[in-house]
Amino acid sequence: MILGRVVGEVWATRKHATLEGRKLLVIAPRYWYAPSHECGHLVAVDPVGAGIGEEVVVCVGDPARRAAAQAWGEALVNLPIEAAVMAIVDRVELAPVGERGARPLRTVGDQR
Amino acid sequence: MTLGTVIGAAWGARHAAGLDGAKLLTVETAGGGRVVAIDRLGAGPGDRVLVAHGSRVRDLTVGETAALKDVVVAIVDGVSP
Repeated sequence: MILGRVVGEVWATRKHATLEGRKLLVIAPRYWYAPSHECGHLVAVDPVGAGIGEEVVVCVGDPARRAAAQAWGEALVNLPIEAAVMAIVDRVELAPVGERGARPLRTVGDQR
Repeated sequence: MTLGTVIGAAWGARHAAGLDGAKLLTVETAGGGRVVAIDRLGAGPGDRVLVAHGSRVRDLTVGETAALKDVVVAIVDGVSP
């Protein structure tokens, strides 16, 4: 999972049928230490009801599909997605820079 | 998933059997990278699209035989704000 901030919402009329009625949010990654996923943004489905400007925890990869379906209370797991908002963050505590181990925490994107 | 813009189509006269009849689009992602994605929604050059990645996504949308892991899952009308 990664931490990010909701920066927008995607509107789409033509989409895969199972995405009908699902909220799609644009997420700007915050403190993210998976270089293979490094990018400026990602789009995630949102079963928890996050709003623009909120900090969120996003599940990335195939488990997001099952987790999102479960959060919606559905047995349906055929969503063609690989990112889902799993939590809205109240607060993040980070150890001081020197105590994070040999590999520094990688930060990506807007750090404000 | 990633937002991107369709910049063209990709053709291959000789291709893997699983790609028979597949419409392939070249999509430039917001980060500047490019991916070739399968499209079943009818997107065209200039359209903004949402591309999902992964073999399970591929299995659920275009079938297990396609030798490709990027799929157009939505044609974007807009992004707010």
